[in-house]
Amino acid sequence: MIALIGLLIGVTLGLVLQPDVPLWLQPYLPIAIVAALDAMFGGVRARLEGIFDEKVFVVSFVGNTVVAALIVFLGDKLGVGSQLSTGVVVVLGIRIFSNVAGIRRRLFGA
Amino acid sequence: MSLLADLFAGELLDPGYAEAAARRARRAGGAGGPRPRRGRLRGSGVLLVLVLTGVLIAVAGAEVRRGEPVAAEQRSRLVGEIGARTAETDALQRRLGRLRAETERRRAAALARSDAGRRARARLDRAAAAAAAAPAAGEGLVVTLDDAPRADPDAPGAQGHDAPGGRVYDQDLQVLVNGLWAAGAEAIAVNGQRLTATTAIRTAGEAIMVDYRPLARPYEVTALGDPGGLRDAFAGSAADRRLRALKERFGIGYRTRRAPDVRLPAAGPVRLRYAVPREEDGP
Repeated sequence: MIALIGLLIGVTLGLVLQPDVPLWLQPYLPIAIVAALDAMFGGVRARLEGIFDEKVFVVSFVGNTVVAALIVFLGDKLGVGSQLSTGVVVVLGIRIFSNVAGIRRRLFGA
Repeated sequence: MSLLADLFAGELLDPGYAEAAARRARRAGGAGGPRPRRGRLRGSGVLLVLVLTGVLIAVAGAEVRRGEPVAAEQRSRLVGEIGARTAETDALQRRLGRLRAETERRRAAALARSDAGRRARARLDRAAAAAAAAPAAGEGLVVTLDDAPRADPDAPGAQGHDAPGGRVYDQDLQVLVNGLWAAGAEAIAVNGQRLTATTAIRTAGEAIMVDYRPLARPYEVTALGDPGGLRDAFAGSAADRRLRALKERFGIGYRTRRAPDVRLPAAGPVRLRYAVPREEDGP
C-alpha cells in the first residue's frame, strides 16, 4: 500500500514540477529507470516470498542505479556507450523478467 | 555466465533478501521474537525509493514528450529549407539559360558582320551541334526500354521476388546508345538528358545515372535523324540483337517508334579543356 502511494506521489511530483533534466544527465535517465524497475520487482518478489528487507531494498535500488549509470558513463568515455547501454538493459531485463516470473508463480501459481 | 546459469537453475537472482532473512532469523532466534526495527522510520526508505522511481519515470516520460515536437519542427524546417534551396537553384538555372541565350544572340550578331565571321559562325554551329551545346530539333526515333513487369507477389506460382535480370542495366543503355550512334543518329537524349561525347551512363545503387543525374524508368532514348534510315541501320545491329534477346529471355520492355517532331535540349555547360605544354618540355 505504502509502495503504491509512494509511486503515485512520485509520478505526480514529477509531472507537476517538470524538472529540467540537464543535457549531460539525459543518457542516464532511461538506464536509471530500468535499474529502478529491477530493484522494484526484486522487492515485490521478496515481499511476496515473505523475506522483504527494507535495507536490502534501498541498498539494491541505490546500487543498481549508480552502477548502471556508472557503466554507461564509462562506456561514453570509452566510445562504446550505446553497446554498454544495451548490455545493461539486457542484463537488467533478464533480471526483471525472472523476478516477474517469480511474482507470477506466487500470485497465480502459474 | 553465472547470470544465465542462475536463470536456468531457477535460482534467486538477488540472494540479498534471502541472506537478510536468514540473518534476521538467526538474530530473532537469539533475542527471542521477531520485531520491527526502528519502529517509526519503518517503511520510509521504501516510500523514498518509490517516490524517486515515480519521479524518474514521470520526468523521462515528459522528456520524451517534450522531445517529439522539437524533432518534428526540425524536420519540417529542413524540408522547408530544401524546398527553398531547390527553388533558388531553379531560378538561377533559368537565369543562366536566359543569359546564355543573350550571349548567343550577341555573338551571332557580332559574327554576322563580316565574311570571316559568317564562316566562323558556320564552323561554330557545326561544332556546337557535335558537342551537344545547342538544342536540336527534327524527326527521329524513340526507343523505350523498361524493366520487366513485376510479378504479382500474391499470384499463385510467383517466385516472391521479381525474376533476376528483369531490370534494365546501365550496360544495356550504353549498348543501345552506342548502337544508335553507329546507326547514324545526329543527337541522342535519354529521358530528356542530352548526351555528349563524354556523358557517362552508369549505375549508382539502384538507379541508372546519365550525366550524374538519376533517371526513373521507363528509359526513353531519343535519337535525332532520318527515322527510316536510322531504323534500317539499327535493325539487326549488335545492339538490336542483344536487346531483342533480353526482351525474350528476361521480359524487359523494348519498343521502337518513329517521332515526327522531337526537341532535344542542349547538354549541360561544356567545360573546355586545354592541353598545356609542360615547363621542362618547352622550347
